[in-house]
Amino acid sequence: MSETLPDTSPEAQRLHRELEAVWGNPTGWRALTVVNHSTLGLRFMATGLVFFLLGGVLAMLVRAQLALPDHDFMSPGIYSQVTTMHGTVMMFLFAIPMLEGLAIYLIPKMIGARDLVCPRLTAFGYWCYLFGGIILFSSLLLEMAPDSGWFMYTPLSSGEYSPGLGSDFWLLGITFVEISALSAGVELTVSILRTRAPGMALHRMPLFAWYILAMALMIVVGFPPLILGSVLLELERATGMPFFAVEGGGDPVLWQHLFWLFGHPEVYIIFLPAAGIVSTLVPVFAGRPIVGYGWVVAAILTTGFISFGLWVHHMFTVGIPQLAQAFFSAASMLVAVPTAIQVFVWLATLWLGRPRMTLPMLWILGFLVIFVCGGLTGVMLALVPFNWQVHDTHFVVAHLHYVLVGGMLFPLLAGLYYWLPLVSGRLPSERLGRLGFWLTFLGFNLTFLIMHVTGLLGMPRRVYTYDAGLGWEPYNLVSSVGGFMMAAGIATVLLDLALHARFGRASPRNPWGADTLEWSLAMPPASYNFASLPRVESRHPLWDNPGLGGEVARGEHALAGAAHGRRELIGSEALTGRVREIIHLPTSSWWPLAAALMLAVVCISLLMRLYPLALAAFTVAVVLLLRWSWENGGHPLAAPMGHDEPADPPLHSRTQDGPGRWTMGVALLADGAFFLSLLFGWFYLWSVSPGWQMPESSPLSLALLLAAGLMLAVALGWLERRLRALGAGEDAGLAAALYGIAALGGLHLLMLMVMLWQAELAPTASAHDAVLLVGLLYVLLHGGLASLLTVLQARRATLGHVSARLPYEPRVVALLWRYQLGSYWILVVAIGLLPRLIGGGP
Amino acid sequence: MGVKPAVLLPLLLVGCTGEHSILDPAGPAARDVAWLWWGMLSAFSLVFLGVVGAWLAAFRRREHPERSASEERRLALRWILGGGILLPGVTILLLLAFGVPAGQRLLPLPLPGGESPRTIEVVGHQWWWEVRYPDEDGEVVTANQLAMPAGEPVDFHVTGGDVIHAFWVPRLGGKIDMLPGRVNRIRLEADEPGVFGAQCAEFCGAQHARMRLHVEAMAPEAFEAWLAARRSPPAQAEGHDAAREAFVEHCARCHRVEGLSDGREGPDLSDIGSRATLGAGVMAMEEGAIARWLAEHQRLKPGNHMPAHDQLDTEALEAIGAWLETLRP
Repeated sequence: MSETLPDTSPEAQRLHRELEAVWGNPTGWRALTVVNHSTLGLRFMATGLVFFLLGGVLAMLVRAQLALPDHDFMSPGIYSQVTTMHGTVMMFLFAIPMLEGLAIYLIPKMIGARDLVCPRLTAFGYWCYLFGGIILFSSLLLEMAPDSGWFMYTPLSSGEYSPGLGSDFWLLGITFVEISALSAGVELTVSILRTRAPGMALHRMPLFAWYILAMALMIVVGFPPLILGSVLLELERATGMPFFAVEGGGDPVLWQHLFWLFGHPEVYIIFLPAAGIVSTLVPVFAGRPIVGYGWVVAAILTTGFISFGLWVHHMFTVGIPQLAQAFFSAASMLVAVPTAIQVFVWLATLWLGRPRMTLPMLWILGFLVIFVCGGLTGVMLALVPFNWQVHDTHFVVAHLHYVLVGGMLFPLLAGLYYWLPLVSGRLPSERLGRLGFWLTFLGFNLTFLIMHVTGLLGMPRRVYTYDAGLGWEPYNLVSSVGGFMMAAGIATVLLDLALHARFGRASPRNPWGADTLEWSLAMPPASYNFASLPRVESRHPLWDNPGLGGEVARGEHALAGAAHGRRELIGSEALTGRVREIIHLPTSSWWPLAAALMLAVVCISLLMRLYPLALAAFTVAVVLLLRWSWENGGHPLAAPMGHDEPADPPLHSRTQDGPGRWTMGVALLADGAFFLSLLFGWFYLWSVSPGWQMPESSPLSLALLLAAGLMLAVALGWLERRLRALGAGEDAGLAAALYGIAALGGLHLLMLMVMLWQAELAPTASAHDAVLLVGLLYVLLHGGLASLLTVLQARRATLGHVSARLPYEPRVVALLWRYQLGSYWILVVAIGLLPRLIGGGP
Repeated sequence: MGVKPAVLLPLLLVGCTGEHSILDPAGPAARDVAWLWWGMLSAFSLVFLGVVGAWLAAFRRREHPERSASEERRLALRWILGGGILLPGVTILLLLAFGVPAGQRLLPLPLPGGESPRTIEVVGHQWWWEVRYPDEDGEVVTANQLAMPAGEPVDFHVTGGDVIHAFWVPRLGGKIDMLPGRVNRIRLEADEPGVFGAQCAEFCGAQHARMRLHVEAMAPEAFEAWLAARRSPPAQAEGHDAAREAFVEHCARCHRVEGLSDGREGPDLSDIGSRATLGAGVMAMEEGAIARWLAEHQRLKPGNHMPAHDQLDTEALEAIGAWLETLRP
């Protein structure tokens, strides 16, 4: 890499070489071990782009089929596969990973950090995405792609009505890909909260980071319901447990709830980062700070909250009680308020500034036109009587493309053009760029504006053909022509990007006159981003100090140098941005790739129904993940105790709290969302499912249930006491105590297993027993993990990786124990006590 | 912009007709929604033009008056409160005020007089419609065609026989999902006698596109006559004994013909000769159509659940077809 450093002095050069030696990426085969966020962010985006093009080809196949009535371009079966995969690829393999990739690339640079807090997790997430995406897409080449529509409604997607492997590809592939979304969600949250530049209090954070924080938290809470739904549906397909089958007491509507509990927030997960791009670009091109920073933050948070209360508006025609419909209808309209606030904040910023019309701004204007239109039809759709008419017609297809293409693709392209010079050091071509924009914009509107009419004329969505004479022919033909025009536009944009990499004019430093930290870096940025970590006292560091880049490169700020060989960055307080500790990061590693490969084996063997192989591969994957976690804290390959370590602030593994503990906390938040979804499923089926059978008496032994819970409480109490002692510097007998705690955990598990064995559940005959089984397996799995990690901690205590001077790791594990105790007792109340109190019956 | 819409409107309205068109309502519920649509379209077009116009104007401005920071704040606050809170707030209130009453019509609430409207049951199957008319004088069952009295509300009780389908007659209003294990209710009314298109609206598998329902609203007396005619077994035309026997041997397990067989897997064929289309809208009913359908149905509607009839020769299929065509009340 030949970065243009922001400063060419010998001091800057020396510092660059020193940091590059520690932070630089390995090359050749070892490029597979890279954990650097810039590299991985670009890999995410490049892979996302490939899937975007594949999804686009599928869209063109759809438009070719629908161009003429009674067209037999594709068979009905293939058409169903193509439409299902178009939606699935665009949502799961393009939109989310693309935006994650952008965030992974940009966030550390914007908040003044050298990398994300869990670099190996970034790599792991990327491999899961890549392998999951390949597995999922390969189904299309094998002509056994999922064909039940991208929201996979049961019973159509069930074993009875989709006996092939299609649904399994979807459920397993998507769940695999989702690991990557969750990894990114967790580490972006923690990175934004804990590694901002010194002095960058929350209220000084760039708006883009606020948007990504909201997106990340929404991923953390929003994806687990879908993962649960996928697990349950795959269990139903593989073993016959009737979670969604009416005959066994399940309910197909439960799938819809779980799907849309994820699916609606997903729309905002996609929209918020894109809006973040708009909020970043508008002030830069208006040449003034955004007006109403606080309003925007409030709008972001409100959108995040409200978006979890809207899912039922995808289900207005399911036969939901009227009161609930009114509630969800009003809530769906209310989300227009924070969106409108942002639109008018941008408008006021432009109005009060001196806006420049540049290529990125052109895409922002395109976004505005399309998105406002999509937002307005969205408000229409929130009105129940109108929704009943146009639901599941091409009107909705048009609406969702206005919102998603307008709300995501257009800002994304604006952002790509905007940050391109940072990545490549070159400027794109104005002329070709504009041509690409106009083709895309006009083609899009030709396709989808017209499609509203097609829907109003009564054409349902997802039909593979239609009869002549219904008045739908001209509209469909125009939509198809428009679709191909849009494809030509996208091709032009790609051509522009490709040509620019070769022939583009060299870009000056900070070509747009931006205010955020990423533009202070080398172009392209060096592997370590910042040679020294600057203090940030305002929202516009580069407008305040245009020479900041030089200062940073010359090492005039914090943590200049890496003679100690550690990858270091500053850990700051979540709210104030005050310096708390020095975080040391892990380096390039094979473990993420190995673990992800093993999970791919799990995924494929589940697909092929080779369950023993799946179990074996899963065990290996767990071992690999634990082995990966072994190189941590005081381990010789991480940050062993030594003479060259800083005292004030200390390394994070020498403290009571650090990024890993936050990561565990956020991961448990996701876990909690999964658990809550399971409880929702339990109570939903119990109260609403048409064929639910509550047994006269609970099959679970109350005595064992309570005893196992008490055992767990004793174990945690002991652990808490040891942690307090450790905090006070007392580590004698720590290993023995940890072994003891793990043994108590083992007893807890043993009791649960005896109870499960005694209960003689019939999970394939009754949804009641199936949900009990899944709930108990859930606590067994968590209890097992907590005990296992505690055994490893005991071993680490023996080896001296955990001690009074390294008290950090047991505190991380303790979070899991607390979570287990909480979720266990909630489960006891939900499945053990409440049925006894309320009684059985239908 | 005053003249243009006025000129365009009739043109638009001509383009709005069609047997599935929401914008060509034929009943009170659909009419309310059509009006809602035109109202929302007009109001939202103004909002759209206003917002986009203001953005474009911001780029076109040549003068940039110097403003103090507090002036700027005041101006920005006015934009945000006016456009971000007042505009959507008022819009939402107006929408709910017009929209909530419109929704009431579709609900199966008690009628003012206290009597309950006629009930018709519709069951969705992959990929055909089963329609039942429960009646104290004996239930009438047909398939892929729905007759209803015009000028009075009718309650539809719908459910799914296998996967989820959706019942929707766009020109009358709707729609409602047909879920296995549940019965959903919707009330529709046709102003006048007429024929309306309907099509399954929830993706239900490969032949979702070929699942149409022929809906005919009749004057109440005509409807009663239509129903009465179907309460007794269809007249037995002379000279089709061989076809009848072949039917009993090959088709009766799945198909019901009143007085002859009781199969329930496939569509009831008791009045098939009187239907407008075959295969849930795949082809028009005309002489010889049934025989052609029997011979080529897997080509005409690939994947449909009726097995191919390779074991029967063309002659036998033609005989069965000719006999089925005589089945009309």
